[in-house]
Amino acid sequence: MAAFHLEMKVNGELVAVDIDPGMRLLDVLREVLHLTGTKEGCGEGECGACSVILDGELVDSCLVMAPQAYGKEVVTIEGVAALGQLHPLQEAFIEAGAVQCGFCTPGMILAAKVLLDHNPNPDRQEIARAISGNLCRCTGYSKIIKAVEIAASRIKAEAGAASD
Amino acid sequence: MIEKNIVGQSVPKVDAFGKVTGQTRYAADLDIAGALHLKVLRSKVAHGLVKKIDTSRALKIPGVTAVFTHADIPGSNSYGIIVKDQPVLTNKVRFKGDAIALVAAEEESIAVKALDAIAVEIEELPPLFDIQAAMAAGAPAIHDNGNVLTVTKIKRGNVEAALDQAAAVVSRRYTTQRVEHGYIETEAGIAYMENDMLIIKAGTQNPHYDRRDAARVLGLPINKVRVIQTATGGGFGGKLDISVQCFLGLAALKLGRPVKIVYDRQESFVATAKRHPFIVDYTSVAAADGRLLAVKARIFGDTGAYASYGPATLTRAAVHATGPYEVPNVDLEAFCVYTNNSFSGAMRGFGTPQIAFVFESQMDLLARELKMSPLEIRRRNVLRPGSITATGQELTSSVGIAKTLEAAWARALEVMPGLGGDCR
Repeated sequence: MAAFHLEMKVNGELVAVDIDPGMRLLDVLREVLHLTGTKEGCGEGECGACSVILDGELVDSCLVMAPQAYGKEVVTIEGVAALGQLHPLQEAFIEAGAVQCGFCTPGMILAAKVLLDHNPNPDRQEIARAISGNLCRCTGYSKIIKAVEIAASRIKAEAGAASD
Repeated sequence: MIEKNIVGQSVPKVDAFGKVTGQTRYAADLDIAGALHLKVLRSKVAHGLVKKIDTSRALKIPGVTAVFTHADIPGSNSYGIIVKDQPVLTNKVRFKGDAIALVAAEEESIAVKALDAIAVEIEELPPLFDIQAAMAAGAPAIHDNGNVLTVTKIKRGNVEAALDQAAAVVSRRYTTQRVEHGYIETEAGIAYMENDMLIIKAGTQNPHYDRRDAARVLGLPINKVRVIQTATGGGFGGKLDISVQCFLGLAALKLGRPVKIVYDRQESFVATAKRHPFIVDYTSVAAADGRLLAVKARIFGDTGAYASYGPATLTRAAVHATGPYEVPNVDLEAFCVYTNNSFSGAMRGFGTPQIAFVFESQMDLLARELKMSPLEIRRRNVLRPGSITATGQELTSSVGIAKTLEAAWARALEVMPGLGGDCR
């Protein structure tokens, strides 16, 4: 099979790789780029462990063929912390005890990030809906929702402080 | 300096930073140069004798390094947490999904291809999919010693005599279903030789037991095997059993090359333990004032093809069969039964959730029978300091159920005003 020349932006960096066109975006991230923060839980779009942000939208990277990402911008969990500084969501997940086994955590944080990027002031129902495609078997979700609330209020406070 | 007073304080989870940044390496994230990929050929039938395994076609596929079968196990081909009844690679199939052959190949896709090229001849035996069929006289034996693995009996007082004084007797049959743990991380691991030392790194809840069983099946002294637990993405009891550990050890030891295996979700569902499905025949006997006089129960747990934690699960179910209630006369028997279903093992509570569903349902039915509130009948029966349990233990302190019951009721009234009405 002829290789596919994939060019995309991953966590702000331009990436150009020649790949088997049958690969999933998940495989390219994990096996070619060694970004193993993105997890495979089911391989069929049920669990959300492989969630990444593709051009601003949350996708299951196991359901995206790698060539579909051509020319697009991908954000993985490795790209969420900026310059060694944790994102408010990452801080809040630690603080609120929203991390247990941690396997769903990268996808969960990315799902929450997409929510807050579009809606800085979500209510509990909107948070629950935003993470409804991401399964967690440890926490029972309540601490995850709490973490997103904490992060939202902090981001708002920071934005308020910046505009003063 | 180490903070001395940790109890009562909220402290950040020690490994949370790596987990929120994606840096934590789980088993499937481990890369090892030159690793061969392993895949397991699993049975498509539930019960049968393996007559012949022809690996010659698979071995001719370029990139296939080796195919192992039961004949290649260097030590005792049996492991298990309580009973050593599960083979690494089997010559007798006991459930749909039993492991028959292990392929090692340069690429995962080649290993998958090789699975289809292995020819297995199986002489099918009648499969036993339910407990009654497995316990029936003349049922084919799934293991050499028959299909009833363990019987736990707890007897106290005289149940028959209590029946004579009964104001209410409730007898019901309950059934509960099989449950998959559904941890988000599927089973995975790597293994390699470090001089003459076998190193196995895997997601597990039980590295010490894994080590013991891996050494046993590989015929190695235990000090030549190291099992290192990687960050584990959920277990809930389902990662207490051997899954990938012996496959990894076998291939690394035989081939002298690093190896890697990752179960996909389907294999994780098919090949690993479930919560035991129960059938419970339960009789509760009470006096007119609601006090329990006796409980008689026959508990049957479907442990499937292999024991795993079955004996412990059924013992727990028997020990907890009277719940948090004082019962002077008990006649309890719990049977751990082999069937040709996927094997059952540990899952949060070890048989207690199943039996809790039963004894609490019974309390509600008894209350209805005696025209008493479900709360009141529990108040009159809960264990207190001085109570003697079904197993004869006198409780002297720290018996919180009565207080918990009242607190739960107070809270229920707070969030659902008007609940229960006069019936309290």
